Amino acid sequence: MTDDNRVMQRAKADRPKVIRYRGVVKRYGELKALDGVSLDVHAGEVVCLIGPSGSGKSTLLRCTNGLETIEAGQIEFEGAVLPPDERGLRVIRQRMGMVFQSFELFPHLTAQENVAEGPRTVLKMKAADAQQRADALLAKVGLEDKASSYPSELSGGQQQRVAIARALAMNPDVMLFDEPTSALDPETIGEVLTVMKRLADEGMTMVVVTHEMSFARRVSDWVAVFDVGCVIEQGPPRQIFDAPLTERTRDFLSHLGWAD
Amino acid sequence: MTLDWSVVWTHRDALVDATGATILLAAATMAIALPCGACLAALRLYAWSPIRTIAACYVEFFRNLPLILVVYWAFYVLPILTGLGLSPFLTGLAALALNVTAYNAETFRAGINSIRRGQVEAAMALGMSRPQALRRIVIPQALRRILPVLTSTWVSLFKDTSLVSVIAVTELAYVAMQVRAQTFRVLEMLSAMAVIYWLLGYPQAKLVDWIQRRYAVSE
Repeated sequence: MTDDNRVMQRAKADRPKVIRYRGVVKRYGELKALDGVSLDVHAGEVVCLIGPSGSGKSTLLRCTNGLETIEAGQIEFEGAVLPPDERGLRVIRQRMGMVFQSFELFPHLTAQENVAEGPRTVLKMKAADAQQRADALLAKVGLEDKASSYPSELSGGQQQRVAIARALAMNPDVMLFDEPTSALDPETIGEVLTVMKRLADEGMTMVVVTHEMSFARRVSDWVAVFDVGCVIEQGPPRQIFDAPLTERTRDFLSHLGWAD
Repeated sequence: MTLDWSVVWTHRDALVDATGATILLAAATMAIALPCGACLAALRLYAWSPIRTIAACYVEFFRNLPLILVVYWAFYVLPILTGLGLSPFLTGLAALALNVTAYNAETFRAGINSIRRGQVEAAMALGMSRPQALRRIVIPQALRRILPVLTSTWVSLFKDTSLVSVIAVTELAYVAMQVRAQTFRVLEMLSAMAVIYWLLGYPQAKLVDWIQRRYAVSE
């Protein structure tokens, strides 16, 4: 397959690159968690990162907003290299919403207060305005009736939807999802994926680490397959799932019972 | 053996004053030991590493000495160290505060450390600074977790104030013992003392239970 072909398959390739990973290396002591990862995310794209556990997908996501530092290579966000200092990173993080595998809602705050917390503390928004924004976002994720519930009173799926609303409250340009459904009961996975799908349809740029292959296939514009800290293959979902170019991609997918 | 309970009534004024002194001593100790304990915990968690070590030494020193030894130590050594002739009350207060500060510091530190890392990361992912994450997310949760510990420290402290009677602080234990020594009414005075401590202590213990239920955060 030629390069030209790939560009044609990538529908949003002509849009500006929101995130560019260039030869990103991350080490934990001896272990190379990321071993030279290069990947582009264009505006409005949903890019799914798939691959076996411990292959570096989540690490890459956590490096994207500077929760982890990198040893080599660079990460560009909206045309500028990630700043090395905390103050600069804080500005970047406001532009990137993050959703965690374990939700990490603030247990001492209600759903509404969780969503309003970012606007209140970081954007210094007035309490009433932040509340209004929170209510609107809770409605968007279908939880308008849970505004005054504490996280412990919500199901896993509801908690994760609140967490998505909390991330959206900062009006981010990109949403980073770190295995958002891995900690959920099977019956609540669907409601979270539905919210994510709707977000994608609205044109949100999303980077999603996931084991939900049907979501990756159905929703994503681009899929990157990770193995031992490297992207071993990337392409549109049709390529990855129907005609993978590498043996290891095929192996990984067949282990999940996906490919033949 | 005949019991003469009138001795308690005869000395009621002294006992009431002494009870007031006990309450004041416990309250003043906590008033000092809460902020000092919080500062010490902050030093142990976030300060430059030599300072951290010094704070840790303080905590381990006072936490592992018998309180009564600290009381005697304060009585004999503090005047030499400070050059001040402190009253027994202030000396007792200093000894209790040194001890409870060490306990509170450990309580605060354990509370902060018990909040999992993901909470700080979630706060930082929203764009909060570390101090903001600490103030808005970590400390409110940690406080709720340690409130039961602080309140039971308070209940222990309330009873431990009796130890400063050895340096003649005119609190409840000392005054009751004085009356006993003067009147030889041992059983009556010990019983009166027990009743007063219990009547004061029991509602506090109940209050502690209530606080634990009220402020528990479930996850």
